[in-house]
Amino acid sequence: MNRSLNEHVAQLVSEASDGAVTPDEALSASVPLPALGVTSLAQMRLIDALEREYGVEVDLGTDVSHLESVAALAAFVESKR
Amino acid sequence: MNPQAIRVAFEGGGEGRGPLTWGQRAIWETVEATAPDDHYFNFGHVLAVPRAAWPLTPQSAAAAVSGLVERHPALRTTTPEGRGQVVHGRGELTAEIVTAEPGEGTKTATELLERLKRRRFDYAAEWPLRAGLVTSPSGVVTHLVLVYCHMAVDGLGAEIVLRDLRLLLIKGRVAGTLPATPLELALWQESEQGRRVAQAAEDYWEGEFLRVPASMFPAPAAEVEGPPIWRAVLTSHAAEAAARHAAARYSTSAGAVLLVGACAMTSALTGLSRCAMLPIVGNRFRADTRAAVTTLSQESLFTLDVTDGGRLTMAGLLTTAKPALLRAYRYGFHDPAGRAAATARASEARGEQVRPYCCFNDMRFADPPAELSDAAEVRDALTRSTLAWPLSQEQLNCRFCVHVSGEGGALALSLTADTRYVPKEAMERWLSGLEMFLMEAAFGDGSAVSALRRAG
Repeated sequence: MNRSLNEHVAQLVSEASDGAVTPDEALSASVPLPALGVTSLAQMRLIDALEREYGVEVDLGTDVSHLESVAALAAFVESKR
Repeated sequence: MNPQAIRVAFEGGGEGRGPLTWGQRAIWETVEATAPDDHYFNFGHVLAVPRAAWPLTPQSAAAAVSGLVERHPALRTTTPEGRGQVVHGRGELTAEIVTAEPGEGTKTATELLERLKRRRFDYAAEWPLRAGLVTSPSGVVTHLVLVYCHMAVDGLGAEIVLRDLRLLLIKGRVAGTLPATPLELALWQESEQGRRVAQAAEDYWEGEFLRVPASMFPAPAAEVEGPPIWRAVLTSHAAEAAARHAAARYSTSAGAVLLVGACAMTSALTGLSRCAMLPIVGNRFRADTRAAVTTLSQESLFTLDVTDGGRLTMAGLLTTAKPALLRAYRYGFHDPAGRAAATARASEARGEQVRPYCCFNDMRFADPPAELSDAAEVRDALTRSTLAWPLSQEQLNCRFCVHVSGEGGALALSLTADTRYVPKEAMERWLSGLEMFLMEAAFGDGSAVSALRRAG
């Protein structure tokens, strides 16, 4: 996996949560991001940031597991680019 | 009391005119539906003058208010007939000055706030901000009172205004870049990108309106004597703690647990396995709206399937609700005209008017962080829950309105309903069912959602 993409996504997670989650915590999390304190508002901010920065459209279908970790988010972005 | 006034002149801000934003149009629709009682939407703040700004003269207070109006175009924008917005570059408003008796400053300021809220705004000819000053008998300003027209700001926008007013009082200026203005937002919404966002939202509303019950409360169930609209408020410390426990347990927010709980209980109450509820959403998740001083809150549409209620698990319910919740947040940012078109098409396709008559407004600004008391303590708090019936009236534009607010460490769960469709005893059952739902979500074994039987 692209290391710098993961790091950038982790940075966006941190910004979306107003710093409640640090980039390092987001990168090394062993639980889903919401369990770290990424609220639904922060999730929506994160989606907005990913869509703006990578020009992708984040799917909000029945499965949103791609929003639950930095690795899954980065893989999602990679697959859509 | 000795009413006087001071002029607050402002100039140097940009001016312009353009269409209304989606948020402004949404408010305008409710204003039109409510007029002449639209003063109902007026709201405001009392700001006790920060110690760092003491002693404050009326002239300095007026200068701070004028700096505020210059900074935020929303506060100098008129919306004649709801047809568009006109941003004025210069103007003057009048701030009333009231002298309080010694020790009565806060009381006097609150009375002034209520008085300034009472009158409806003239959207064409009046500034959307009313200001007032309360002084001590020696003429020092102790409190500033601001009352807003809802076409100008919503609750979160007003919080930013208040923060900036404090800075202007203390430092005389506000640092930092200006957020997007309502006019810039309106022009973006008309752009190709904005239309794409609007179209996606319109598709969502239409798709959901084709599959949800046309109304959650389609037929009157009872005849009533006297005013049919009643409000019941359950004030519960246990619910507040339980919602936070449940949020931590299921990695979600207390607001989400409350909305899902409200939907699940409404399904149980109506016997409809799919619930459509219209929550008010803040629309502040976008980079360009996050700190905007304007009115952004809009109604969205949240739908939840509560099928197979007998075997439903709490985790199943709260987990399946997550994507639906995110969709509701995303598509709450919508063009009201697109929503109206989607509603009309869905209604025509179904041969019946689609209108859920079921809404939800979580009026708390933020979920407080989890402060975990143990289960036994929270269960004990159940005995302190109280139910009151503070309001009855003749008319309401809805049949089932849920309001959530914080009340000194408790949650005030308010249900305003048309008792021809939802009898009073069903309202009580729904509220106590919701409290039980929250307790189960927080402390139950998660194997079933027994609370659903309480409301059903």
